[in-house]
Amino acid sequence: MQLDTLLRVAKWEVTKNAGGVDKRTILVMALSLVAMGAVAAIAVSGGTGAGMDDGIYRIGVDESSPYYGVAADDSTFDIREPDPAAVERRQQELLYRGTQLRSVPRTAKERAALTELRDSTAQYNDRTLARDDNQTAAFPVSVTLVYEQQSGSSQLDPRSGDGSGGSDSSDGSGSSTGGSGDGSDTSGTGGSAASGGGDSGTAGGSGANLGAIGARLTGDVQGGTPSDISPPFPFESLVLAFLYIVPMNFVIQAYGSSMLSERLNRRGELLLVTPASRGDIIGGKTLPYLAGAVGVAALITAALRFGNIAPAGSYVAVLAVVPLVVLFLSATFCGAMFARSFKELTFVTVTITVTLTSYAFVPAIFTDVTPIALISPLTLVVLDLTGQSVGLSSFVFSTVPPLLTGLVLFGLGAGLYREEDMFTQRPIPLKVLDALAGGINSRRSALKMSIVLLPLVIVAELAAIAFLFVLDSVSLNVFGTNQSLGIVLVLGVIVIIEELAKSLHVYAGYEHARYERTLRSALGIGALSGLGFFIGEKGLLIARLSDLESLPIGEAALQGATLPAGLPLWVAGLLFMLPLALHTVTAAISSVGASRGRRAYVAALTVAIVIHFAYNFTVVSTLV
Amino acid sequence: MARRDIRSLSREKTIVLALLIQLFVAGFSSFLVVGLTSLYDPSSVAAGEVEMAVTGDAREELEAAAAEQDGTSVTAFESEAAAQRAFNQRQVDAILRGEYVPSTRGPGEQIQVTAVVPEGSIRSTLIVVEVRRVLSALERQERLERTPYLEQPPVPLPDTVSASQYFGFTYTILIPLLLFLPPFISGSVAVDTVTEEIERGTMELLRVAPVSLLDIIDGKALGMVLLAPAQAMLWLALLSTNGIAVSNPAAILLFITAVTVVVVTLGVVLGITLQNRRPAQLLFSVLTLVLFGGAVLLPEHPATTVAKLAVDSPTLLTYGHVGGAVLLAVTGYTVARVYIGRVAAEAL
Repeated sequence: MQLDTLLRVAKWEVTKNAGGVDKRTILVMALSLVAMGAVAAIAVSGGTGAGMDDGIYRIGVDESSPYYGVAADDSTFDIREPDPAAVERRQQELLYRGTQLRSVPRTAKERAALTELRDSTAQYNDRTLARDDNQTAAFPVSVTLVYEQQSGSSQLDPRSGDGSGGSDSSDGSGSSTGGSGDGSDTSGTGGSAASGGGDSGTAGGSGANLGAIGARLTGDVQGGTPSDISPPFPFESLVLAFLYIVPMNFVIQAYGSSMLSERLNRRGELLLVTPASRGDIIGGKTLPYLAGAVGVAALITAALRFGNIAPAGSYVAVLAVVPLVVLFLSATFCGAMFARSFKELTFVTVTITVTLTSYAFVPAIFTDVTPIALISPLTLVVLDLTGQSVGLSSFVFSTVPPLLTGLVLFGLGAGLYREEDMFTQRPIPLKVLDALAGGINSRRSALKMSIVLLPLVIVAELAAIAFLFVLDSVSLNVFGTNQSLGIVLVLGVIVIIEELAKSLHVYAGYEHARYERTLRSALGIGALSGLGFFIGEKGLLIARLSDLESLPIGEAALQGATLPAGLPLWVAGLLFMLPLALHTVTAAISSVGASRGRRAYVAALTVAIVIHFAYNFTVVSTLV
Repeated sequence: MARRDIRSLSREKTIVLALLIQLFVAGFSSFLVVGLTSLYDPSSVAAGEVEMAVTGDAREELEAAAAEQDGTSVTAFESEAAAQRAFNQRQVDAILRGEYVPSTRGPGEQIQVTAVVPEGSIRSTLIVVEVRRVLSALERQERLERTPYLEQPPVPLPDTVSASQYFGFTYTILIPLLLFLPPFISGSVAVDTVTEEIERGTMELLRVAPVSLLDIIDGKALGMVLLAPAQAMLWLALLSTNGIAVSNPAAILLFITAVTVVVVTLGVVLGITLQNRRPAQLLFSVLTLVLFGGAVLLPEHPATTVAKLAVDSPTLLTYGHVGGAVLLAVTGYTVARVYIGRVAAEAL
């Protein structure tokens, strides 16, 4: 790969293809964006902006009732003349005479309406009483909220109870993941009343001045009333997430179009016949978009910083966005290589957008709550913008897997960036196999491919943990004792991902006749693939950089990569070797299947998945 | 022509893919419903009792306030140290320390409560919510006692009933989101089919056939327009099997169809005018966003129209919007046809 060739391709991409978007388009777009800004400004300032839930509940109430004012202040309610007959006809949800509710809420809608009215009334009272002269009587209670570490043993940490301190002492990175305010020492368990000012790790991050959206209960809370308490739900992370993710969708759309248009009418052939290497071409064509997306992220951060919305924003936020950008671009690149037409590309782009947005977005919701949040690099952005410090280990844990995944995807896509694949119309599944087979030369490639695919596996598994984590906590709550549902699901998903990663490239190798179709060779290749996966799996140790293990679901997912402490050496040795045996055996099974054609492969893969799941489930239920 | 386009679409299995994506979005949305709302209001998930320690000289008032709440049980502690010990040993989830202090807001006394909650625990959100409930109840009690000093007594709160926390969210966010996605995808695909024919040069081949360009465009647009209401119908069916009753399905489908016509017309016109996929798609996304955002200026946002129809609270205004959308769709498409007829003949 040569830098100047790469730069020249990049320059062409900018001048030639950006020229494709002509001045008229740019003008229209600029105008639309201005219009959008104007609309937003009007909506924010004028308050004319109709809320999404305007008038969905109809309440029958007249002006003599105190609830008239309540309903009039809340646009969710549509005020009607009190009419019992209308209630019967289901045209009014609530009916008030004076302070008396005269209708009986039966349907789901009527109940929801009454609950909404209750909330509105509380807010209405707070608003009217704020104008009262006697403020002491109006707000007789003031609250100081103090967040404090409980020093005893945790109910949620399954290991610390039995004294195996070994696993907790891996490193001190855990302390940086909690919502530990802005550096004030929260671990002091003395907890005297006087510490209220400094200790209160503010709900939802203190650095961001996001107005009423964020927590109002900041450091000085002497005047706080009960309704000022906001639970640590980082609402602003949702807003910020959209700010950073939305421009990326535009970038990948342009990038995808540019890549696919190379494949139309053999246009890309011109570049392919030049002395520039494949890497130069792809790198050059990608560079402008990468730079553009990162530039936009930098601009957003700068705007937030100097617009005084998030004065704490720094280069960390921009750096944290880079892996996401790489991931988006690489997925689009693969999509553009796989897709056969613009129509397909549109669907692929939508899939990529939805999948990656949820990958970036869902874990970030939990920013203040758990280490789960660190699975997404977006969390680092939120942490940085809210002025919390980001530890190096957290940074590595959250950025390296997506970055590596992005690079692997680029590698796979590059396997298709050649004449045979670019200008032919092959179905997508075959192209996936082509991409995988591109990296296979000899038997030893099985080992290599298993390792190479590992970042994909890690990211997929982490995402699975993040998604099912919510399910876990929900099932834990809903079904009372049955807390294993989430864990079982996580195990299932992980087993499927791992077995696929171990065997799909083997299957691709057979389909492309890279391997001999004999039983001996199949077993050997399977064993190599399993070994490669086992070596790579130790990479999962990266998870120890975070506190993920402290959650039962993380523990279940990562077993095999980490060892329980306090076991005799031979048991530990056995536990270390068992996963190797498992991976080798299951990979060999599916490899034998793969050598006998497609149906046999699917059957063998199912067997391998069942065995793997049984093993994992046994280990989890006996050891944890 | 429409039949041909639809058939080619289904043959390419892209429709299957689209439906899969939608299913995924549905899964994602229901995840959002359960996950987010339970986080936003964790009290909606019955998660066992929250144990609170109360100390200080206002502890009786705190106990009385907590007695009203279902999810909370309290233990009174004489000394602060004992409460702190119980907190550290995780016997209680939170400490409420209530003291009578001279008010900072004027004459008289107020209750100063210091609430200590655990940091960085999964339960802390839930605990904070419970703390807020107890303290709000305390505030109501105290206000009631001090009513004589107030100019205007507070409005009594309506009784609590068990209601779905997701009700409003389902109808005002989820259903509009699900129903507006198909029109957007249809429009986007319309851009694709038009620009692709032009870019690949296959438009020439089509024009050799004994159909006019307008027929071709009509066919392509019709195919895309039919797709969206079909998907919307699928959604409504799925929702009703999930126990979410959607009222006025006919009006909703009419509205969605009208919106789809508008969006697809936009896509086709952009495709014909720009002839190039990248600028056309880019402009299409931006313009659709602007349109959707700009709809805020209407008396009722289209999303609200859908929500009000779905939840069965339509007003005359709502039906007016449906009518307006149909009108816009018809005129828009007619104007677009005239434009295409004039432009296309010489340009393509």
